[in-house]
Amino acid sequence: MAVVRFENVVVEREGRISLQIPDLVLEEQRVAIAGLNGSGKSTLLRLINGLVTPTRGRVTVDGIDAAKEPRTVRRRVGFIFQNPDNQIVYPIVSEDIQFGLKNIGVAKSELPALAMKALSRLGIEHLAERQSHLLSGGEKQLVALAAVLAMAPATVLFDEPTSGLDLLNRNRVRDVLLGLGEQAIVATHDLGIVSAFDRMLVLDQGEIIMDRDPASAIAAYEARCA
Amino acid sequence: MNGSLNIPGHTLLHRLGAGWKLGALCLFGLILFATNHWIPLAIALAISLCLLASTGLSVAQARKQLTGPLFIVAFLMLATGLLVEPMQGIAVGLRLMALITAGYAVTLTTQVSALLEVIERLFRPLDRIGLVNSAQIALSVSLVFRFIPVLIDQARVIREAQAARGLDRNILALLVPLIVHVLRSADDIACAIDARAYPPPAPPRKRQVP
Repeated sequence: MAVVRFENVVVEREGRISLQIPDLVLEEQRVAIAGLNGSGKSTLLRLINGLVTPTRGRVTVDGIDAAKEPRTVRRRVGFIFQNPDNQIVYPIVSEDIQFGLKNIGVAKSELPALAMKALSRLGIEHLAERQSHLLSGGEKQLVALAAVLAMAPATVLFDEPTSGLDLLNRNRVRDVLLGLGEQAIVATHDLGIVSAFDRMLVLDQGEIIMDRDPASAIAAYEARCA
Repeated sequence: MNGSLNIPGHTLLHRLGAGWKLGALCLFGLILFATNHWIPLAIALAISLCLLASTGLSVAQARKQLTGPLFIVAFLMLATGLLVEPMQGIAVGLRLMALITAGYAVTLTTQVSALLEVIERLFRPLDRIGLVNSAQIALSVSLVFRFIPVLIDQARVIREAQAARGLDRNILALLVPLIVHVLRSADDIACAIDARAYPPPAPPRKRQVP
């Protein structure tokens, strides 16, 4: 599990502040991030593995600056995007899992076994030779997760992981989230999947307006949005 | 496209290295164009069909995949036969079908990643002298394989949405939103590739550190 630290972070876009976090440390096993559309949830996640660079301040993962050493940080922090279709880059599932492994320098001879291990972990080894574009939305999301878990990250960031999924697949993703040994930081509108988390942040217009346990944060957030 | 055609298996063709298969396919193509006589071309087509049969593909699947090319080849055969001479038309038809069938057999039995490795290897000499980035070329080819079916799906969705609003078929009305979608997705895909620690570390050999 990694320790993620935000120090006086400001992100500006087109001359206006889109995210501002003076001081934040994330070290719990499961952290939820909620907030309205455009509140800065995705930006916050993207700062953690260096996909977005702060205008001011810095974000570190285990002391490593995500903006300065994104490659090092990305070996420790995996990212699950909202649309798994854009995350799967190879036409065959097992080959896609191997893509990330190759990128972190895993020997060619070890790739098939590690890919199968990652798929087995999520109970989707039967998808190994399937064509990516023929999978269902839920299967794609699980394949995207397997691809990230194969790289053995300490932390996994999830950007709206249940968006567009049916109830069955949404519950599968929720169960996977709750069973993960890795640290999970999840940005979502689906408050039902994060109620058992350790901590919840609520963002509004680029600022953290709540930081507490999920039960009370969900109640306060729902009251605010009523 | 390979992504939609590759079938898993353990046949002889599956076990052969992708480089050998592609090399043999190139050689086969050169030989096919070295003759105009129908007998060697017919033998070549028979060999291609045997190769295809050895992959374990069902007749129904083969028919489904080869019907489209067959029509095009039949047209070319007819046109050549009428415009040049009948035997030349037969030679063109046999040659193209032999090549298409052999290519199909190779595609069926070769994983995309293996094909990409060959592509990467082929471009490596140019990579070494700084003319191209072979890993980027291989990834680009993979993305083409991966996203053509996605784009076809997206085009269908756009077409259905337009039809639901009473718009007749209009190529421009289809292309504009499709291009917007492609550009928007391209950003997300680039982010996703970055997030998966791309590019891979450079091999320790020969590459100079600036």
